[in-house]
Amino acid sequence: MVITIISFFLKVLAVYFGMGVLFGIYFLFIGATKIDPLMKNSKWIVRLLLFPGVVATWICLLPKLYKK
Amino acid sequence: MGLNYQLVLWNKNKKVYDRFILLFVLLYLLLFWGITLITNSNTSLETLTIRSSGTLAILLLHIILSIGPLARINKKFLPLLYNRRHLGVSMFLIALIHGGFSIFQFHMLGDVNPIYSVFTSNLDYSSLHDFPFQVLGFLALLILFAMAATSHDFWLANLSAKTWKTLHMLVYVAYALIVSHVFLGAFQQETSPYMPVLMGIGFVVLVILHISAGIKEVKKDKQTYEASDEDWKYVCEIDEIEEDRAKIFIVDHERIAIFKYENKLSAIHNVCKHQGGPLGEGKIIDGCITCPWHGYQYLPQNGQSPPPFTEKVATYYVKIEDKKVYVLPKPLDEGTEVSPAIIES
Ligand code: HEM
Ligand code: FES
Repeated sequence: MVITIISFFLKVLAVYFGMGVLFGIYFLFIGATKIDPLMKNSKWIVRLLLFPGVVATWICLLPKLYKK
Repeated sequence: MGLNYQLVLWNKNKKVYDRFILLFVLLYLLLFWGITLITNSNTSLETLTIRSSGTLAILLLHIILSIGPLARINKKFLPLLYNRRHLGVSMFLIALIHGGFSIFQFHMLGDVNPIYSVFTSNLDYSSLHDFPFQVLGFLALLILFAMAATSHDFWLANLSAKTWKTLHMLVYVAYALIVSHVFLGAFQQETSPYMPVLMGIGFVVLVILHISAGIKEVKKDKQTYEASDEDWKYVCEIDEIEEDRAKIFIVDHERIAIFKYENKLSAIHNVCKHQGGPLGEGKIIDGCITCPWHGYQYLPQNGQSPPPFTEKVATYYVKIEDKKVYVLPKPLDEGTEVSPAIIES
């Protein structure tokens, strides 16, 4: 029982972070300026710094992408 | 504010604080390693790393959690508040070293996934004495990661204010997890008996600080001011406000900041549009009220951010009679122009 819960939790976590990394790569090359126009005038290295945050919170950024 | 994002917002003060953080970290590690090696010379490098980084992370976390209430109790601590961000990220990196090394030392050698091993190598979830305390550390580390990763200004602007705040309030959940991690861990490892005692003291200090700051806030909210004719409320003498600074008043449940500048007085709503920073604790810089938290600016006479920015806060009528300052505690529409009260000398 405990094992089932743990496996499920860790799988969800892995899928979430996996999707996060994919979304993060999209963010690096395309998404950044779509989500926030200020990114156009920001140095590229700022995107790298933001990458871990995208991996962690990508789900909250999705709606922003659809609104535009 | 600003037309692009910087990698790190550094100014002279922040650099000084950052150097101070670095020095503190190095000094702590040096002392910890020195003292441990002198008292117990056969401690392994891995154990030294795990223990020194774990204890340093929890120490930094206590400091971080004290800064908020300290700044509310005494304004002298405000500069620390503005520099809390780098302290938070440093704390996460140090906690990551601790967690990473622990996983490396205790979970890398088997043939199961090391994270899976953290959760399943000990399955005594129903026992208090043998509880898998590392799981609690892992969950805390996840929260700290999400916070550190979203500390850049970009996130303030792009996660809704509510999401960002909720995420960062999770620090208290992380704290609770870590306290349990250390207490339950202490039953199982031959760690120093001082650790739980120190943690207990730290916990009590944090609780006392938060409660005193809370009491102070409630008292401020309850202060009443003697009423004058009609609805104008007396708040203070002119001389009580410093030049280019404000005093904050709570009148009829309105938080109002009254600023004094160039022989004039203007009153605006005390709450910044960005993240709710206390505008009345900021200064007038280049003619603009500047929020102490992240530097959003507003013109004192109309509460509007100077172009190209569009933030607006509510304004209030103020007047001066016999060197006494009165305010009408009814907020005008955000951005309404109000002619300042002139101070006659
Ligand atoms: C993946 C996450 C984590 C793992 C696997 C982990 C693992 C461990 C282990 C194995 C110990 C016992 C070390 C020993 O006594 O030799 C320990 C103790 C400790 N951990 Fe963690 N931990 C994690 C996260 C954290 C976090 C996030 C913090 C705090 C910010 C933290 C703070 C501490 C402290 C203060 C101790 C006590 C050290 C001592 O008594 O010497 N841990 N942890
Ligand atoms: S709260 Fe961020 S600038 Fe005011």
